[in-house]
Amino acid sequence: MISLSSVSKRFDGKRQVIALDAVNLHLEKGEMVSLVGPSGSGKSTLLNLIGGLDRPSEGDIRIDGTLLRGISDDELTRIRRDKIGFIFQFFNLLPTLSCLENVSLPLHLRGWPAAKINDRARELLSLVKLEKRLDHLPEELSGGERQRVAIARALSVYPPILLADEPTGNLDSNTGVEILGLIRELHERLGATVLIVTHDRGVAESCPRQIALKDGHIVMDKKG
Amino acid sequence: MRLLRLISWQYVRKHLLRTVLTMAGIVLGVAVFVGMHTANQSVLSAFNKTVDRIAGATQLQITAGESGFDEEVLERVQAVPGVRVAVPVIEAVVNLNLKSQGNILVLAVDMTGDRGLRDYDLEEGDDTVIEDPLVFIAQPDSLMVTREFASANGLVINSKITLAAMDGPRTFTVRGIMKSSGLTSAFGGNLAIMDIYAAQKVFGRGRKFDRIDLAANEGVAVPDLQKQLSGMLGAGYEVESPSARGKQFESLSSVYGMLANITSLFALFIGMFIIYNSFAIAVTQRRSEIGIVRALGATRGQIQTLFLTESAILGLIGAGVGLLFGLLIARAISASLGNFLGEIYGVAQKADEVSSDPRLLFGALVMGVVTSVIAAWIPARAAAGVDPVQALQKGRYQQLSAGENRVRRQVAAGLFVVVFFCLFFAQNRVIFYSGYFLTVIAGLLLVPTMALWLSRAIRPVLKFLRPVEGTLAADSLIQSPRRTSGAVSALALSIALVISLGGMARASYNSIDEWMRIALNPDMFLTPTQNITDRSFRFPASFAEEIRQIPGVKYTQVVRNARILYKGNPVMFVSLDVANLRPESYLPAIQGDSKTMYRLAAEGKGFIVSDNFAELYKVKYNEPLVLNTPNGRLALPVVGIVRDYSDQKGSVLLDRAVFVKYWNDDSINAVRVYLNSDTPIATMKARIEEKVAGKTRLFIFTNQDLKTYIIKITDQWFGLTYIQLAVAVLVAILGIINTLTVSITDRRRELGVLQAVGALRSQVRGTIWLEAIAIGVIGLVVGLFFGSVALYYSLEMSARDIAGLWLDYTYPWGMAAGLFPVILGAALFAALGPAEQAVRGGLVEALEYE
Ligand SMILES: Nc1ncnc2c1ncn2[C@@H]1O[C@H](COP(=O)(O)OP(=O)(O)O)[C@@H](O)[C@H]1O
Ligand SMILES: [Mg+2]
Repeated sequence: MISLSSVSKRFDGKRQVIALDAVNLHLEKGEMVSLVGPSGSGKSTLLNLIGGLDRPSEGDIRIDGTLLRGISDDELTRIRRDKIGFIFQFFNLLPTLSCLENVSLPLHLRGWPAAKINDRARELLSLVKLEKRLDHLPEELSGGERQRVAIARALSVYPPILLADEPTGNLDSNTGVEILGLIRELHERLGATVLIVTHDRGVAESCPRQIALKDGHIVMDKKG
Repeated sequence: MRLLRLISWQYVRKHLLRTVLTMAGIVLGVAVFVGMHTANQSVLSAFNKTVDRIAGATQLQITAGESGFDEEVLERVQAVPGVRVAVPVIEAVVNLNLKSQGNILVLAVDMTGDRGLRDYDLEEGDDTVIEDPLVFIAQPDSLMVTREFASANGLVINSKITLAAMDGPRTFTVRGIMKSSGLTSAFGGNLAIMDIYAAQKVFGRGRKFDRIDLAANEGVAVPDLQKQLSGMLGAGYEVESPSARGKQFESLSSVYGMLANITSLFALFIGMFIIYNSFAIAVTQRRSEIGIVRALGATRGQIQTLFLTESAILGLIGAGVGLLFGLLIARAISASLGNFLGEIYGVAQKADEVSSDPRLLFGALVMGVVTSVIAAWIPARAAAGVDPVQALQKGRYQQLSAGENRVRRQVAAGLFVVVFFCLFFAQNRVIFYSGYFLTVIAGLLLVPTMALWLSRAIRPVLKFLRPVEGTLAADSLIQSPRRTSGAVSALALSIALVISLGGMARASYNSIDEWMRIALNPDMFLTPTQNITDRSFRFPASFAEEIRQIPGVKYTQVVRNARILYKGNPVMFVSLDVANLRPESYLPAIQGDSKTMYRLAAEGKGFIVSDNFAELYKVKYNEPLVLNTPNGRLALPVVGIVRDYSDQKGSVLLDRAVFVKYWNDDSINAVRVYLNSDTPIATMKARIEEKVAGKTRLFIFTNQDLKTYIIKITDQWFGLTYIQLAVAVLVAILGIINTLTVSITDRRRELGVLQAVGALRSQVRGTIWLEAIAIGVIGLVVGLFFGSVALYYSLEMSARDIAGLWLDYTYPWGMAAGLFPVILGAALFAALGPAEQAVRGGLVEALEYE
């Protein structure tokens, strides 16, 4: 489903940073994988590369068999559209749109008909138990509720891949557990491949496969 | 200073594009100001030089308006003891139909005495010709041309030139070619010298001269001689130094100077908005930075000074760049201006070099800096008011608070009350203009509110059109009224200007159309000149009678019009045989009664004046108009005021008998011909040409020709004002670019999210485009509304202070509709760059952007 071969990412600022150094990685369809590592070890960079938000300095990335190298920005966007759902640490909801509109956003962008969009958005919001908050603006919600909206948005197109970058990083621990439970439930129901960055040992260990990064290298890859 | 380098420079470097755009208004305003005034000055100085060259050693010139005076005046002047030399002159403009030339100025002189004043430095040819002026005179077909003219047209000594004279075609012989220097450089060499007595016949001037050029005896004070001559000749004659003639030309070009001022003021005014907007945005964006600096010990005063210094530097740089541009465009403008003003003189005046007055340039720099500092004043105060503690707490940008908006609305409402009262006392100039000024201020105060309401109103529309892109575009506007209202204000102002000018143009066309229908109802116009406004050639008085006898001619009306100095200004006097005027040609009276006034005028008992004349010279109905003529004082009452568009600076109608009596001039400029309805125009044209053929110089214009010509002139006039529109629209575009550039910075994260969840680049561009279109629509709606008010004031203004023309208020709906595609197109164009920038940035940074 996802495969990286010798992927490196350098940032050429005033000082050159090697965020990822020749990483090889292969994720099967339907896997649920946790990614841990100290801050600055390259976790977000890895996720951004897989999600096509950024391009590697070297190496090849394949998503569902498609090689990302050499394709245009718009083709990259199309792959992201069809295959990938993102959940961010800082939710990244659009502040002027209601919950329903935020969840509908990806569907609108794909040009779905209005009625179908409405059905799907409502369905997902009830899946994350926010069916009573359809017309609220993000600023009227709690942190956990916002992240649930973000999850609903990420899942709105039933993406085969779900990428979550510290989804509980900005939430208190109870809410964090709740959100993770939700992600796991959705993983089981929709069968999506899930890659989740986390600082929480418990969360990491509860995943069938665990990967650890350090200084841009994979230092552990453990199954079961 | 250190603060400036540390803080401002960093910010400027980071926002270079925006800084450049911010200066654009100043650059444009200053460029237009410098360009137009430099061009104007250059053309005027070139013209003055020309006048000097033609004047030679002339110290005083005697004129009596355009109609000239009798030959005997020359003898009287020559008899005055202090006069060393006095020579007669006729000036005329001729089109010689030679390949490389337009019009040429013919200076007709008396060679016997003239060389006492002018030096005709001949370069080649039979020197005996001029050595003995009698030979030149003995051959009245002699012509002297300039080296430039001769070369351009392949002329040599003894070349022949045929000229259609008033008494039939005449062949002239080139008997002298003047060296390139002094005199010959007048009008770029488009100058020829002819014998004055030949010229009287060629141009149909009878036994009259246009002018006497004279020089005083050594030891005689020129001012004393001037007084003596004035006293002897009477008030009907002007005795002036040659340079005074340049002044008259200046008065004709003053309208142009005013236009230049309005245009540049307008550009600067809009520029002020853009600067205000940029600084207001910068202050909100730099809040935390200001907070830090304040926390580190900077005083409020220092912060304010920092921002004001920034704006002053910005203004100075903008003005400097504008100055350079201005000098560049001055050359192009002076060419077109030379042609435009040349139409008044007859021969195009080229400005050989663009000379700029250091005071003008300095003034322009000051203007740029002052504008910029004024614009930054309020944001600078806001910056000084930033509370360090609050600013350091992370949070969203401070937004235009509801309270602030309410205060604006209240102030605006208060101003409108004042404006309302101003309207009642609008006769007073100061109150009228104050009212206008306050209306503009009140309108601008309301812009944020209107922009907000309109943004809310179009959100559903945009949402319907494009659910994601549209909604986000509208939300972007609603979220940042401060960012939006700057661009909207600038745009609305320029649209208001377009509407008010367009409205004026339309009103003018309507009125001119109506006037042409009544005043220009003859079927044909016969003139001795190729150009209907040129009066160099004139028919003899008997000419009309000849025409009347042609079968098919119902009746004729002779016209003699001339510019005559009234209170020092050249005013168009139109003399007609009023008794012979048919009632269908009577113009409706604005004051007085149409029938009565034409009857009184026919009896020689009064003048009928145009409304713009009355307005400009403060002449009242029924009060006497006093003129000093070559035959003494003429005082007749104004028996009626009509709407007449014969001349931009007003016109006076009088009976032909009165004109002939007081100006000793029975020549004719034009014959208006009315035909029996059964004869086709073409047949009549042929008949007239046949009758006149070979005997008289004649040009025939049909009614349609003349109308086309007048519309063309009007188009040209308004065409000139369209430069203003171009400037306004350009500045507005820059305003939109500026706003959008800020908008995409503010919305960087949002746009990143959009792309992360699957928006294609075209969709991201779409939202920026829609935002631009929304700004355009809002600017249009507000601007079209402002325009309705501005049109009212413009019409009033034109009536009071510019042309003295009262025009009816008609809103130019067609133009308003036409503006939609233009402005929306411009908005889209403005959005191209920012939209590209929006899709170009890195996604990862955008998402982490705080
Ligand atoms: N846009 C960027 N420019 C420069 N350096 C970056 C950028 N993004 C990440 N880095 C650097 O790359 C390294 C890995 O960053 P990241 O993937 O965000 O780490 P993590 O998510 O594991 O905390 C860090 O040293 C970080 O400073
Ligand atoms: Mg990270």
